[in-house]
Amino acid sequence: MNEERYILFDQYLQGEMTAEEKDSFEQNLSHDHELALEFDTFREVQLRLKDKFEFEEEREAFKANLTTISDKHFNTNKPKVVVMRPWFYAAAASIIILFGLFFFDYNNPTFADYDDPEPASFVERGDTNATLKEAQTAFNDGKYAAAIPLFEEILKENKTPEIEYFYGVALLEESKYPKAESVFNELRSGTSAYKEKATWNLALSKLKQKKYAACKEILETISQDYENYDDVEKLLDELN
Amino acid sequence: MGKSKIHPDQMYIEGLAANDSAIIQTIYKKFVPKVVMFVMNNSGDKEHSQDIVQEIMILLFNQAKANTLELTCPFDAYFFLLCKRKWLNELKKTSNKGVTINEDAVSMNESAIELITHTEEFDEKQQLFDTMFLKLGDKCQELLKLNFTTKTMEEVAEKLNVTYGYVRKKKSLCVGQLTQWIQEAGNFKSLKNN
Repeated sequence: MNEERYILFDQYLQGEMTAEEKDSFEQNLSHDHELALEFDTFREVQLRLKDKFEFEEEREAFKANLTTISDKHFNTNKPKVVVMRPWFYAAAASIIILFGLFFFDYNNPTFADYDDPEPASFVERGDTNATLKEAQTAFNDGKYAAAIPLFEEILKENKTPEIEYFYGVALLEESKYPKAESVFNELRSGTSAYKEKATWNLALSKLKQKKYAACKEILETISQDYENYDDVEKLLDELN
Repeated sequence: MGKSKIHPDQMYIEGLAANDSAIIQTIYKKFVPKVVMFVMNNSGDKEHSQDIVQEIMILLFNQAKANTLELTCPFDAYFFLLCKRKWLNELKKTSNKGVTINEDAVSMNESAIELITHTEEFDEKQQLFDTMFLKLGDKCQELLKLNFTTKTMEEVAEKLNVTYGYVRKKKSLCVGQLTQWIQEAGNFKSLKNN
């Protein structure tokens, strides 16, 4: 290995050369094609190293997130094979109809049909904030009333779209409509990843208050790119 | 490249670089089904297509982070062709039968082809770099990692309990070793050429 050469390359790139040394190095580069090629490689190796280490954490986070989304995508598409006997179909159908008669209001869709908040997962990312953890646990256990003051405390110091979003969902679950809607409206006018989700929840808030026209109006503003657009279409269909 | 107009679909690239779940989900919903169809119609199954897509997504993340990915054509065509070519290359590796990769030249514009070539070159270089990096001794690997994650080389020296002079020289030589191997493996052209 040509040690001298690599030490020189690095000194040049780190700006450790005097003006004369720099001149003579550049002179050499312009005359010696092979040297220039090797210098280019050296410089690119440095860049790759920088990218490798600088983004290592982000890359791992990306891979983990990607795997989750990918697994979800591919599993939901997998057809489920269930073998049923004909009598079972009949029995299942009659049970479904009975349940339907007892529990569902056929005229209008209800909030309960769509009330399925996703679990919060802020803390898994190496966060050690105790309040955050408490809020997450309360939220995921469905103890929304307990989660609300915790979210409020967190938001005083750390106002992120993610926390705001879950705060809004908790408010909606507790039927605190004006507060919930103001949170969702704020997210809706922003550009975060929670924009569409917030809009969807705003529509759910109207649904819960049985304001069907307002609900429909909001649903129509949701982009088709929204991950759960199927729900949007379904609800729109039921409202029509 | 720099002069071509950037396509609005650049938002997908930026979303990947920012690990934006909403964007990633949209890509799966809008663009992945086509890839799955293609793989399944060409001797593959769902798991194959899932792997291919994941590899391409990580590649795009890396290229976006290195700031060398500017979309000049729709994401749809670019993404599909990358996945398609990756799958056909996999087939080539595993079967002895010759697989011909039809260049979709008719349907593709020049900038898309150029962009795909650029990404594939980036991928090749990345793989070569990764292989060579693992060939380095533990000491070199550790020192390089510290060097790129610690603010100053003085701190690196302190952490490793050696002198500044030693760290300074050793770092040049470790990068030099990588340079030499990669140079020998050939064809490691500068990114700037693309």
